Amino acid sequence: MQLTKTTDLKGLLTTATCALLTTNQVSATETAVDEWQFDTAIMYYGESDRVTAVEGIVAGQKTFADEQVLNLKVTVDALTGASANGAVAQPDVQTFTRPSGNGQYQVKAKQTPLDDTFHDTRLQLTGSWSQPLYHDYTWTVGGNLSKEYDYLSVSVNSNLARDFNKKNTTVSAGFSYAFDQIEPEGGLPKALSEMTVEQFGSTEFDALFEQTRIGSSDDKNTLDLLLGLTQVINRNTIVQLNYSYSDVSGYLTDPFKVVSVVNQQGYSQRAIYEHRPDSRTKHAVFAQLKTHFSNTVLDASYRYMTDDWQIDSHTLDLRYHMALNNGHYIEPHIRYYTQTAAEFYTPFIIEGQSINQDISADYRIGEMDAYTFGIKYGMPMNSGDSLAFRLEYYRQSPKSDGTAAVGVLNDVELYETIDAVIAQVSYSF
Amino acid sequence: MIREVECTKRDKGYAIIFDAMASPCEVLIDSPEQWLASLIGEQVAGEAWRIEDKYSRYQTTSVCGQLNANAGKKCPIDSETFHLLQFADQCYQLSDGLFDITSGVLRKAWHFDCSDNIPSQQQIDRLLPFVGWQQLEFDENHLQMQQGMEIDFGGIGKEYAVDKAILLANQVIAQHAKNSVPVLVNFGGDLAVNGPRDKEQAWHVGVEHPSLAAHSTMVVTIKQGAIATSGDAKRFLLKDGRRYSHVLNVKTGWPVENPPKSITVAAPKCIQAGLLATLALLQGKNATKFLKTQDITHWQIS
Repeated sequence: MQLTKTTDLKGLLTTATCALLTTNQVSATETAVDEWQFDTAIMYYGESDRVTAVEGIVAGQKTFADEQVLNLKVTVDALTGASANGAVAQPDVQTFTRPSGNGQYQVKAKQTPLDDTFHDTRLQLTGSWSQPLYHDYTWTVGGNLSKEYDYLSVSVNSNLARDFNKKNTTVSAGFSYAFDQIEPEGGLPKALSEMTVEQFGSTEFDALFEQTRIGSSDDKNTLDLLLGLTQVINRNTIVQLNYSYSDVSGYLTDPFKVVSVVNQQGYSQRAIYEHRPDSRTKHAVFAQLKTHFSNTVLDASYRYMTDDWQIDSHTLDLRYHMALNNGHYIEPHIRYYTQTAAEFYTPFIIEGQSINQDISADYRIGEMDAYTFGIKYGMPMNSGDSLAFRLEYYRQSPKSDGTAAVGVLNDVELYETIDAVIAQVSYSF
Repeated sequence: MIREVECTKRDKGYAIIFDAMASPCEVLIDSPEQWLASLIGEQVAGEAWRIEDKYSRYQTTSVCGQLNANAGKKCPIDSETFHLLQFADQCYQLSDGLFDITSGVLRKAWHFDCSDNIPSQQQIDRLLPFVGWQQLEFDENHLQMQQGMEIDFGGIGKEYAVDKAILLANQVIAQHAKNSVPVLVNFGGDLAVNGPRDKEQAWHVGVEHPSLAAHSTMVVTIKQGAIATSGDAKRFLLKDGRRYSHVLNVKTGWPVENPPKSITVAAPKCIQAGLLATLALLQGKNATKFLKTQDITHWQIS
């Protein structure tokens, strides 16, 4: 061996060793091949006086010898409770007809009108198959089927990822195509037509109600395109950047929502069914940073979304994972969300004003802020399983888009804050 | 070997003992928490057995066994194997071809059983065409060697396992312990620590010199990094008063002349220490000069 003093053997060897020991994350802790890994969770979501949801999830993952990964997930949701119908609160009792036309409900004075017959059970099946391909490529293909009493959603998706730079950089591109069909009980309402309220139970009512219907079902198509970049910065830090484009076309109106038409004094004259544009284009960027300190992990993300309905939203999400010395961990979570209103959003219409073709008073597309504060506590179980509890408080604060209240509307709450509690227990084995 | 992990109490914590890679293995953990010591022990032992099962040339079902059985064909390899091959490649380049993981086939001629069974030049010449790292081709996903060739990770596998064990122990500690926990991993004399003991104290370890018939141990102190030992063990041939060491020069196929009986080297990582010790032995009688020129911390038995 012609090794001279100038050959820095130790230095060269250090470089080679670094490459071996840092790029190779294979270890005994890795999930054994050919075994199913299951995650189960049960979640409770409760809004004060409004919707309550209970959700059960069973997700299984199996990794095969050639690094193929199969994911299957079943979700069952049961929703009950009341949901805002879009009308404004009034100084007097109001009467509304249920979307089915088979009943009516009354709303007390000064209360936000809620349709209290909101209940549904949803079954969702999700599956995906991930397959390494020649030379650092990974291909994933998946599907989703979701069925509710009056709603069906079917989608397919595919993603191709390529690793570069010894797997320190991953670039991916994917798409998803979804078909959704809605078939509400009582049919679809005619846009901007007046909700039939008077003479409920009579044949006149039935005839009038029938005139507000335009069909039994409609559908929409959604195409999503996604570009992603994941970069390992160093042994402790990983950054992810995503851009997504979404194009939705078809029936985007909510058939259960109305808009109040009020007179100059703010008194409701009637409620008309809302209507939304038949297409929506969204652009979103997402950035996430995960960094590992000695025994904590910081996970911070930011998302910006803008669409041609003129809704712009910002989401900031922070999680801080802290390991305790007994193997347990605590993870506080804070999320802040803010959005601007859709251009066709209005809390109500004043009689005599010209009415645009597109109009909605749904607070969910109005201006709003939302906060989440939560904490998760997890612990390993003897057998290698893990158990975790999550408790979160969520506050949604709709805000005025600048529309000035008139007359009696000054005395009622037009933008009611919603508080919710989320509790979850999850078990992985 | 029975795959069991034994956990016993010692002065400042716990000792985990198990057998892997034909060696007694121990992990010393300076922590009063038995559950933590057991968790580290299980993970480290699992990793050692995983590496043994994957890279042992004696197991026909191992990745190494399968690659050797399929020599001549283009074989798929995973990322870990690729990185080990890449490391072996760099060692081959650095040592100017003296360190070569394809040299194992020479064992077909040399049986170091302390007998006088010296092979003929003819026997060696027949094997030499199958030795030579440069004849092997590999990329991130495939390996192809010529029919008749073999690779052997024996020269780096145990040291690699020691380094992986330290990484794994640190990972467990980061996840589950509040403070740092001093750990020493010793796989049959190749060892590494994750740092000094309490109050910056060094670890004192007895390193058994395989070359010495009597079970003599040398105590070395270590605060950081790793130590590995390479020696001619109890494996040699004697003929006409001449001792043939088991350290073979891959270029000639003949033993290196007069290497030290045993060399222990210190380096930041065990795999570096192991390689430097092996390279020193390959220098034969110039081993000491090599170690001094390269400014390598070492202990030597001539």
